[in-house]
Order: sequence, then C-alpha cells, then structure tokens
Amino acid sequence: MRTTTIKRILWILLMLCIAVPVLFPFLWMLSSSFKTQVDIVAWPPRIIFSPIIDNYIRVFAEQNFLKYFKNSLIVGLSAVGFSLLLGLPAAYSIARFKQKKLSVFILVARLMPGISFLMPWYIIFSRLRLMDSYVALILSHMLIALPIVVWIMSSYFESIPLEMEESAMVDGATRQKAFLSIILPIATPGIVTSITLSFIFSWNNFMFSQVLSMEKTKTLPIAVYNFVSYAEVDWGAVMAAAVAIMTPAIILTMIFQKYVVKGLTMGAVKG
Amino acid sequence: MTKSSFIERHFKILFPLPAVLFIVVMMLFPVIYTLFLSFTNWNLTSGMPLKLVGLKSYIRVLGEPRFLEAIGRTFSFTAIAVVAETVLGLAVALLLNREFKGKSAMKLILLLPLVATPVAIGIVWNLFFDPTIGLANYVLSIFGLPRAAWVSSAQSVIPSLALVDIWQWTPMIALIVLAGLASLSQEPYESAKVDGANAVQIFTKITLPMITPTLLTAMILRTVDALKTYDIIYAMTGGGPGYSSETLNVMAYKYSFEYFRMGQSSVILVFLFLLVLAFSLAIMALRKRFEL
Amino acid sequence: METVGYWVKHGIVYHIFSIKEVSVKSKLITLLLLVALVFGAGAQAKEIRVLVANHPYGDLLKQYIPEYEKATGVKVNVESLQESQLTTKLTTEFATNSSSADVFMTRPLQEGKMFYKNGWYEPLTSYDFSDYPESAMGVARFGNKPYLVPLVTEWQVLYYRKDLFKKADLSVPKTFAELEAAAKALDSNDIAGFASRGKGAAAVTQLSSYVYNYGGKYLDKGVAVFDSKEALDATRFYGKMLALYGPTGVTSMSWENIMPLFQAGKVAMWTDASVFFSQIVDPAKSQVTAADVGIANLPAGPKASNPFFVVSWGMAVARQSKNKALALDFIKWATSADLAKKALGGASIPMSRNSAWADPAVVAKANPELVTSQAFAAKNGNPFDRPYMSAVGNARDLIGEVIIESINTAGTSQKLADLAKQKAKQVNELLEDTGEYGVY
Repeated sequence: MRTTTIKRILWILLMLCIAVPVLFPFLWMLSSSFKTQVDIVAWPPRIIFSPIIDNYIRVFAEQNFLKYFKNSLIVGLSAVGFSLLLGLPAAYSIARFKQKKLSVFILVARLMPGISFLMPWYIIFSRLRLMDSYVALILSHMLIALPIVVWIMSSYFESIPLEMEESAMVDGATRQKAFLSIILPIATPGIVTSITLSFIFSWNNFMFSQVLSMEKTKTLPIAVYNFVSYAEVDWGAVMAAAVAIMTPAIILTMIFQKYVVKGLTMGAVKG
Repeated sequence: MTKSSFIERHFKILFPLPAVLFIVVMMLFPVIYTLFLSFTNWNLTSGMPLKLVGLKSYIRVLGEPRFLEAIGRTFSFTAIAVVAETVLGLAVALLLNREFKGKSAMKLILLLPLVATPVAIGIVWNLFFDPTIGLANYVLSIFGLPRAAWVSSAQSVIPSLALVDIWQWTPMIALIVLAGLASLSQEPYESAKVDGANAVQIFTKITLPMITPTLLTAMILRTVDALKTYDIIYAMTGGGPGYSSETLNVMAYKYSFEYFRMGQSSVILVFLFLLVLAFSLAIMALRKRFEL
Repeated sequence: METVGYWVKHGIVYHIFSIKEVSVKSKLITLLLLVALVFGAGAQAKEIRVLVANHPYGDLLKQYIPEYEKATGVKVNVESLQESQLTTKLTTEFATNSSSADVFMTRPLQEGKMFYKNGWYEPLTSYDFSDYPESAMGVARFGNKPYLVPLVTEWQVLYYRKDLFKKADLSVPKTFAELEAAAKALDSNDIAGFASRGKGAAAVTQLSSYVYNYGGKYLDKGVAVFDSKEALDATRFYGKMLALYGPTGVTSMSWENIMPLFQAGKVAMWTDASVFFSQIVDPAKSQVTAADVGIANLPAGPKASNPFFVVSWGMAVARQSKNKALALDFIKWATSADLAKKALGGASIPMSRNSAWADPAVVAKANPELVTSQAFAAKNGNPFDRPYMSAVGNARDLIGEVIIESINTAGTSQKLADLAKQKAKQVNELLEDTGEYGVY
C-alpha cells in the first residue's frame, strides 16, 4: 500500500517535470502581460504583483490590433476554403487510384523552404500590382494549407472502404456524385482535422506576410513583430500582443484536440 | 457521349488537376524563375538593367565566407535541435505510453507549443534571455552561476536558439512516437513477459526495433523543418549578433529583401532548395525502405 | 472613415433600387443627392500618408500633427517605424511601384544616393532652402536640384554621469587615453564604465568618429580604405573599450538597447549621437535626473578631433505620390522654422536650420552643453558617419563584422587586419555593382 502511494507521488512529480517546462513560457507570458514595466524589469523577478490591464488597452486601442486580427482571419479562412476546394478532389483521386507520384509531388510543396518561392512571388506580385493585396496573401497561404489538406485527406479517404461509393455507383450514380454525396459526409472528421491544422499554420505564418503585406493587409504575426521593434522595451504590451495572437490557435486546439494530434502525427505513423 | 461520362473517363486527371496546376504555378514556376535569376546580376537598388552574367553570381556568393558559415550554422543548429528533440521526445513518449488519469490533459499540454505562433514564442523567450532583466540569468544566479549572454553573444546564440526550438518541437516527436507505440502489436510483449525479460531488454529488443521506422520518419520531418527555421531566429536575433545566428534561410531573406541583391540571393535560394530537396528525397527513400 | 462612407453609399443605392413605389422623379433627386454626397465625400477625403521614424523628431511631429490637421482639414495618416524597417519598407514599396506614401522621413547618408538614383525622390524646386547651412545642403542636393529637406543634424557626443564622475573625483576626458582611464575607474559589477553601439552594422556610424580621430576613413574617393592602419587602430580601441568596460551582450546592442541601461543608471559614459538628451532624462522612463547627465565633446584621438557632424534625417516627397500639392504643403509645415525652434528649444533636438540656432531665446532653452558641443562639431565635424554609397546597408554589415571581431577579442584579434582587408574588397565589389567604384 505504501509503495503504491510513493509510486504515485513519484509519477505525479515526473509528469510535472514534463508539464511545467512546457507550460512555463505560456504562464510567464500571461502574467507579464498584466505587469507594469516596473514589475517586469524588477530583479529578482516578481511572482506576486498587482495586475493591470493597461497593456491590453495599449495593444487593442492604440495599436489597431483588431484590424490585423481581421486580416489574419480573412487570409486564413480564405486560404483554407480554397485549399479544400482544390485539395479534396485531388486527395480523393490520390487515395482511390493510388497516385503515389502525385502525392509525392504535393508533399514536396510541404517540405520546400517558403523563401525559395517568396522572392519570385515578390517580383511577380509587384509587377501585377498585387503587393499588399489579399489575393497575393491568400494565394501564398494556400501553398501552406493545400499540402496539409491533401496529405491528411488522402490517407483519410484511403481508410474509407471502397464499397461505400461502389454500392452507390451500382445504383447508377456517377463517381463524382458518390464523392460529393457519400464520401465527403463520411470524411467530416478528416475535413475538420485538415481545416483546423491548415488554419493554425496559416494563422502562425510570418514569412509570407512579412514580405507580401504592408499596412493594408498586415497580419497579426507581422503586427506583433513590428510592435516589438518599435516599442523595444515595452515588454508588458508586447506580451499582451503575444497572448492575443496565441489565444485563438490555443482555443482551436483545445476544442479539436483529438483531430490536431491525429493530423500532426499522421503520415509519420504507419496505418 | 454525355458530359458526365467525359468526367468519368478522365476522372483520374480532372480531379487532381486544379491542385496540380496551382502548385505548378505557385511553386514550380517560381523555382525555375529563381534558377534563371541566379545567372543574372539583378540588383533592385543599383538602378542598372538586368544582365545575364553566367556563373558570376555563383562565384561571388560561394566566395563569401558568410555563405559557407551560414551553411555550417544551419547544419549545427539542426543537429543540436533534432538530436535533443529525438532523445527527449522518445523518453517522454515511453513515459506516457500507458493508461493513467490525466493522459489526455498531458497530450493537450504537449500540443500547445506546436500550435503557438513562433514569432510570439521567440519574443517571450527573448524576455527570458535578456541579459539584464531576464529570468534565465536569474535562474543561473540562484545556482551561483555568472550571468550568461544567451542570444546576445556569438558563442551562445545558436545553442540558445536551439533550446527554443527544442522546447517547441520535442512534443511533436513525443506525440508521433506515442501514436506509433499505440499502434504496435502486443504479441511480442506478451511472449517476452512469458520469457521473463526485464524492462531494458524489452526496450532494446522489442520496442526500439519496432518503433524505429516511426522515429526515423519523425526525425527526418523535423530535420527538414529545422533546416528551414526562420521565424524564431528572425524574431529573436535577426541573424545577429553580427552574423552569428544567420542561417541560410535568414541570409537569403537579407540578400533578397534588405540588400535587394536578387541575382545573388537566387544563388542562395538554389542551394537551400537543393539541400531540402536532398533531404526530402531521403524521406521518400526511407518511406519506401520501411514500406510506410 | 472609408468603410463608413462605403456603407453609406451602398445603403443608399439599395434604398433607391429596392423601393418600387417611389416615382421616377424622386428617384432622380435621390440619385443627384447621392452623386453630390459621393463628390462631397471625395472632396472631404483630403488625406496624405506620412512615414516617420522612431526618432525624437518623429515623436514631436506626431504631437503637433493634430494642429496641422485642424488648420488645414487634411487628414494625415502617420506611421512610425524603426529606422531600418523604414528604409526596407520604403525601398520595397517604391521598387515595386506600390507605394501610397506621400511624405517620408529619410536618412540622406543611408538611402539618399540609392533613392535618388532610382528616381524615388520628388525634386523640391519650389522650397526655400536659404535657411540651411551649405554643409547640410551637400547631401540634400543631387546634380543641381535639391531632393530632400535637411531636418536634424547630429554629431557625436559623450554622455556622462556627472554624479559618478564627482564621486570618483574624475574630470571629463579630453582624449581617448583619458576616456579609457575614466572607463576603467568607473567600471564596476553594477555599472558599465563605458557604452557605445556594439551591434555590427549599427555601430558603424558611432565608430566613424573614432576612425576620424585616429586619422582614418571608411571610403576615400569611392574606394574602401577602412583596412588602413589608422582605421584598424581605431577599431581595435573601440573593441577594447567595449569588451573591457561595456555592458554584457554589447555586440547585440544599438542605441535602443543602451538607452534603457543608461536610464536605469547602469552606464557611466556613453558615446552616441547628440539627439538623445531629452529622451535620456525623460522622467517617465529614467531613474537618472537631468542634473546628473552631462554632454561633452567626443574626446580627441591621437591624430585629430573630428567627430561626425551629419544630416542624419531629412524629409522628402515621394515621386510616386498622387497628392503632391498636399505633400508639399505638409513638408513645408513639418520642416518649418517654427517647429524647428520648438524641437531645439523644447526637446533639445539638434535641428539643421540656421535660424533655430540663431534665435537666442531658443538656444537659451536648449541644454547649454549641447549648444557648446554643437559649435565645436559644426566647426570641426566630418559630414559623413558611414560609407556614402548606394549599397550602404550591405557595406555596414561588412564593416560590422570587423567591429564585432574586434569587440569579441577586446581589440587583440590577430586576424583583424586580414578580415578588414577582405571586407574592404567586398565593399569595393558592392561599389562596382552600382557603378560607384572610384567615383567621387
């Protein structure tokens, strides 16, 4: 009896050894966002302090963060939407016709460094007068979202038994009809996974927006970064901005936890 | 011949076509364009016309120690990060690979760094690493150690940045391996129990061989991503102090969008592309080898 | 505002075409009203976009812009950016023809040549430049036309803590040897004896005066010469000072990082540009009081005493601007003698205009030590603080490598000469790239 109690305590300690280092930066960020500059630069660092919300006021009221929030949302949702439109049929075809080469081709887009397309995009988009436009940003973010959609959905479609659409096709439906009315509804969990993951990756993307967006379409990560270099030492407000940008992704993750784990680990694990 | 039967006959081509076209336009074409630019002298700030100069830009970039150093740095950053992430990730996965109360909460905690915005993460760690007010130096002072410069000194900047990468991506390896462990067949374990094997034997003789394919795939995925690391480095140091944390990615960014030396930045991009392509091909080969 | 206008317009359109019972006549009247509204809105929307730097003068402008808006009815959209981001952003916007900037703050020595060569500055032929010293106009003019208005003239000074000097019974250093002795005496665990920029490219401007005082130069007649013995001696001295007496992590510090340390009382002496006095002693941020902060001339070197004295900031109208008349009106206001006097008198910002320095009432309000050092620098100063060339950003990074090597080895590096030689060769290549090699 006593050994099991000790074991339990050791186990909990062990789990804390994993959880605390992972969580600590988040907690420190959160607490710093409620500190005054004096509390932040205090030495030794202060754990107990009287919280203020001035930092958030500064970020949202004075720095126009709502606008960047909106931009991130427009770009992310559109990129994910169009990627589904292009990616779902492609993934279905890859799954059903075993188009291995095609899947590799699309996978390469996931692996290639973004900057190797960014410089040519910059030149092309500026020739087309598309700098600082949603079109350019959405197209670039689609290159993030599309491979994720195809990757996740092709293995999901593979896991759906062939009989599903075959029975429909025997009844006279075309393959595309079967795809739309039978396969897609079954594949909802997979679609949710790919939406969540590709949206989060688009939301977090820094490099594409850094180059292609300016004042009008600036997304949140760029706004946060610019804010840092402008307000070099205003740590409290900077931390508030960091909290603001991470919250949506974290909430999404909490809601779709199971799907996110699956999406992130899929492809690396056989089956 | 009806319209729908046309679709059905060409289904294999028509369904993937839009996605393929998109990727050709957005990826393949830019890569070819970059290849072309790498043979030119194009410089956006010189006010001079674009001219084909053969291999001149290659010679110029390859002759810069900065470029060779950036390659070395890219590899050392990747090596430190991936090795540590693999070891720690494997350990965490083995620990969590059992049923216990709060397992799903632990998984959620592990997920958080993966979905957190890298730029913001970099900024938070910058607050930790601040030599004067940072928590990192406070921790050192508790143990009676002298202040360190972390990302502010050329010696410690790469390990410090790797630490951030390790913090963010170890959970990725842990979760992948955990999923891999869950899919393992239980038979060998049962027979090992019957034979009276101890925990170490079970790990080295059964678990490790069976999990190796998953672990290798995870490692290579991480390697490809670590080679491309940009957000954290740019946000935390901008490649500094000096060039001491400038990886190929950051250097390519600076050549393109700070110096506007497009011809020469294309050379860097071509190299970066080839490097990642080589690793990607390795992934494909491995997947084939282990029939993944 | 724009979105409100948009909804108003569309709401009315909806109104006109959805209500069927309304007579044609009243529809026409509404349409006419709508047209009037749209044109009225168009006439109201007098807007310009102004980009300013994260600089004391930029802050001052932002403070007075509401007055300008009130007086003229023009809406001024101001964006503040950190200086290197400002350059990158302007270059990107201009090079891709996608700019909506009308007026911007610009660094003549950093980007002047490049912006002029690419035709991004609008020539300012109708502006009255008679109030500016000829030395300032040297970098504002290309060919025989002026392209930018000099705003701020900076020179290098030594900021020092009077209280610490008094406590240590030291006098203000007049030479580099005395500077080193003072730094040594003042350096402690808590307080850095000496600080100056150590972050490679950012340090180039501050090192320049040291190079001049050692008898060296960065460029001579369009050729890089910062690998000369004089320049190397200066670089070694600078590296030694920062390594031995500088703050921790100095190689990643620009003025933005040193300022808070000085404000927190952790730095005894700091050499940097002359614009920072009022910011240093800003009571909202600083723990040191104005009475404890002194300004002195940069100490003399072994060969000379020629600190840089440069037009660090100017203001220009964008060639791509679609509101040139409004832009010109704004720039006349933003660079006016009136504002210059407010900046010098109120915030001790060293303005380029002669009339600001000629007004005894204004000068009396400015820091007297600043005024004295201005007189010295104006007479002896060097008008460049960096290699004056199109690819200056790249060149600064290259020179920055030499500086960092020197700091990392406390000036003792064996390979410093070879490194400098190699970097000088690379700077010469950059000069060749843009057709500026050997051209002066």
